[in-house]
Amino acid sequence: MGEYSDSEQMKFDFEAAPELPGSDRLSKIMFGGIRQLTNRLWDFTIEGREHIPADGPALITPNHLSFCDSVFVPAALPRRVWAIGKGEYMDSWKTKHIFPALGMIPVNRGGGDAAQAALDTAAEVLDDGRLFMIYPEGTRSRSENLHKGRTGAARLAIRCNAPIVPVGHQGTLAVQPPDSVMLKTKLPVTVRFGRPMWAHEFGDPDDPRTLRVFTDAVMFEIAQLSGQKYVDRYAHKDDKPGVLADLGADSAPAPAPASTRPSRPGAKPPRERLDPTERITPTRPSVVGTGPAMIPRPPTRPTAHSSGTHSSGTHSSGTHSSGSSSADKHNAQANGAVRSSSGRATPVG
Amino acid sequence: MNLADVIEAHPADRLALIDGDEHITFGELRSRVAHLRSQLTGMGVGPGDPVALVAGNETHFATASLAVLGLGAIVMPITHQSPPAELRNRFDHVAPRVLLVGDLGSHLLGADDELGMEAVDLTALAAQPTDISDPGIVDVEADHRSFFMGTSGVSGTPKVAVLSHHNLAWVQDAMSNGLDPLRPDDITLGCLPFAHIFGLNVVLLYGLRVGACTVLQRRFDADESLRLIREHGVTLLTGAPPMWQRWAKADAPDDCLATVRYAASGAASLPLGVFETIRERYGVEVAQGYGLTETSPVVTWGRGFPVRPSSVGKVLDGVTVALVDDDGSPVDIGDEGEVVVRGPGVFHGYHDDPTMTDAVLTADGWFWTGDVGIFDEDGYLYLVDRIKDVVIVSGFNVYPAEVETALISHPGVTGAIVTGQAHELSGEMVVAHVAGTATEAELQAHVAQHLSRYKWPAEYHFLDDLPIAPNGKPIRRALR
Repeated sequence: MGEYSDSEQMKFDFEAAPELPGSDRLSKIMFGGIRQLTNRLWDFTIEGREHIPADGPALITPNHLSFCDSVFVPAALPRRVWAIGKGEYMDSWKTKHIFPALGMIPVNRGGGDAAQAALDTAAEVLDDGRLFMIYPEGTRSRSENLHKGRTGAARLAIRCNAPIVPVGHQGTLAVQPPDSVMLKTKLPVTVRFGRPMWAHEFGDPDDPRTLRVFTDAVMFEIAQLSGQKYVDRYAHKDDKPGVLADLGADSAPAPAPASTRPSRPGAKPPRERLDPTERITPTRPSVVGTGPAMIPRPPTRPTAHSSGTHSSGTHSSGTHSSGSSSADKHNAQANGAVRSSSGRATPVG
Repeated sequence: MNLADVIEAHPADRLALIDGDEHITFGELRSRVAHLRSQLTGMGVGPGDPVALVAGNETHFATASLAVLGLGAIVMPITHQSPPAELRNRFDHVAPRVLLVGDLGSHLLGADDELGMEAVDLTALAAQPTDISDPGIVDVEADHRSFFMGTSGVSGTPKVAVLSHHNLAWVQDAMSNGLDPLRPDDITLGCLPFAHIFGLNVVLLYGLRVGACTVLQRRFDADESLRLIREHGVTLLTGAPPMWQRWAKADAPDDCLATVRYAASGAASLPLGVFETIRERYGVEVAQGYGLTETSPVVTWGRGFPVRPSSVGKVLDGVTVALVDDDGSPVDIGDEGEVVVRGPGVFHGYHDDPTMTDAVLTADGWFWTGDVGIFDEDGYLYLVDRIKDVVIVSGFNVYPAEVETALISHPGVTGAIVTGQAHELSGEMVVAHVAGTATEAELQAHVAQHLSRYKWPAEYHFLDDLPIAPNGKPIRRALR
């Protein structure tokens, strides 16, 4: 994968899709404008653009650090991309024209089948041979690590027989920090696309275990491309920058949010209610029979993997050569992985 | 109640067991059991006494177990392959009141010094008249101890699981209440060792309870079992993966499982290739089930709904299964979690070992199995691996079973065991122990086709023999 000259970087197929939102003139103007602006206002680098299929469906799965990811990733693509957004955006005059023009498909929230509605909408986009973008972490990473991936993208890839293109970007958090409305210009932003990945390369698509195997494989590639540290737990809105990296050590626990869960040092916050439009993975607890919301732990149960060979400290991402020079370059920035949630020291008693 | 009641209700002339040339009816079985109860009473065996039983899959195993249970005493079944020194170790942990040996335990007769106690020959007892009257089957509480089951398993720490009369009886009832249960006109093959919970409660005792006929195979041999299936028209065939593997390859006619209406596998994961060979060759779909000694043993099974080859089936009615993360929160459907089980089949703890018990069992009966699984949308369970064996590379979970499966799919590999080893950069790295003719370079190219990069073994060790348990599970701790 190489870096593109300005003219190559600007190559873009507007790909009008009359049956999908944003096929009007406004949309075309906006897309052109955003591409011009991202190139002029920022030190914008795109790598691996050749990995985007020239036609046909694909899932675009970036890491998610900042609201402006939804600007830079589409601006880096050679084709138009669609994504799902909150239905509420259609209620405001400020967003009701702009967001659909950018490829947002509104899905109304509420009701238990919101995730299903989002999934079906996404499938329509892919079945139509288009690119569909989804953040596999389900929400922005407040910890700045790369979090465990939701299996929704893998489900869609299998259902629609589409590949997943892993995307890792750097720099967007500095452009638009969490509480900022304005974007800071002149900063470097890099978007890297990886090789398209197919579910059948990682297992039998009919076997539900393949969803996790495939999702983890995609997350590994994203970590290589973004240079982030991977943590094997879902992103949560209460995560703090860097806090997860300390969980395995003897650090003070994150402040527990008000909840009915018994507070225990190191206990993780309650299951996050993700916005249904952000999340296309159906959620239902894995319980057959009747059980409480939390299963008690046996009194002296050692934590998982506590007898393993782990040492604390930092680990670097990846033991193998990635075979990609740009990824290797950024491996150095990955200052390692923390132990999975199932592997961290949980106080007993 | 008493678990020994399983043989009481059936017609006296119905066939219960076929042991070689001997055909034993329920009436005959009841009278043999009553005779042995009298003799054990004469030997001072009473409620709560542990009685060690070393026997193969022979009639003596059934008569001795039922006689001991009937007296309210506790059966300690021990496989007949155990050498005297191993028995002595076990007796140091639980001292039996009496040691009974069947035909396949006869090597222990006269080894009193090595055993530290006298072995009593069941064949001789059966032939001896007794003038002590039969005390009959005593009524016991539901939680009265029935079996002390040894479970060294693959964890390496020998433990004795305490199971109650109700534990085993409830699982039998739950299977009978399920769809398409075992019927009195069924004929099963008893080839799984009865000294293990799978052969004991799912084959022998369940068959007796239903009033079906069990054909005993004293020692497993693939050709011999296929001959027995044909000769007796076996309708229900239950085996462990190594047995299915040998039946798949056996030199036998393709119609030799023609009478089998239900085929089941348990104790370890059945390779997909074996499932397919059995289906293509014999026209039989093998349903996998899942359970542990500590759950008497059935947690999931495959009867009454379509088979999904890689799944271990659905949860037995009345059992609760939750897949949880380390904190005990159930994970979402489709996510991996540790299999945690509660139900009437869950055991009462390990004998005289509160530390081990408290590590797996909660006060309100949740048993943490140490297995990692996934439910699909339809409630089928898929097992992933043992949680302790997970290798964490750069934060990513690597399940050795997945890497082992990928390695074994190479034609030049006859066996593979994968372990983790500390690595200063990635935390841990994947290490492959391989038997076969494949070279490291070939295997590197092979895994690159099948596995994500972080799962590729960083080291290969080539061995002539790999430590594999008799039920087909890899003994990974031996290679760490």
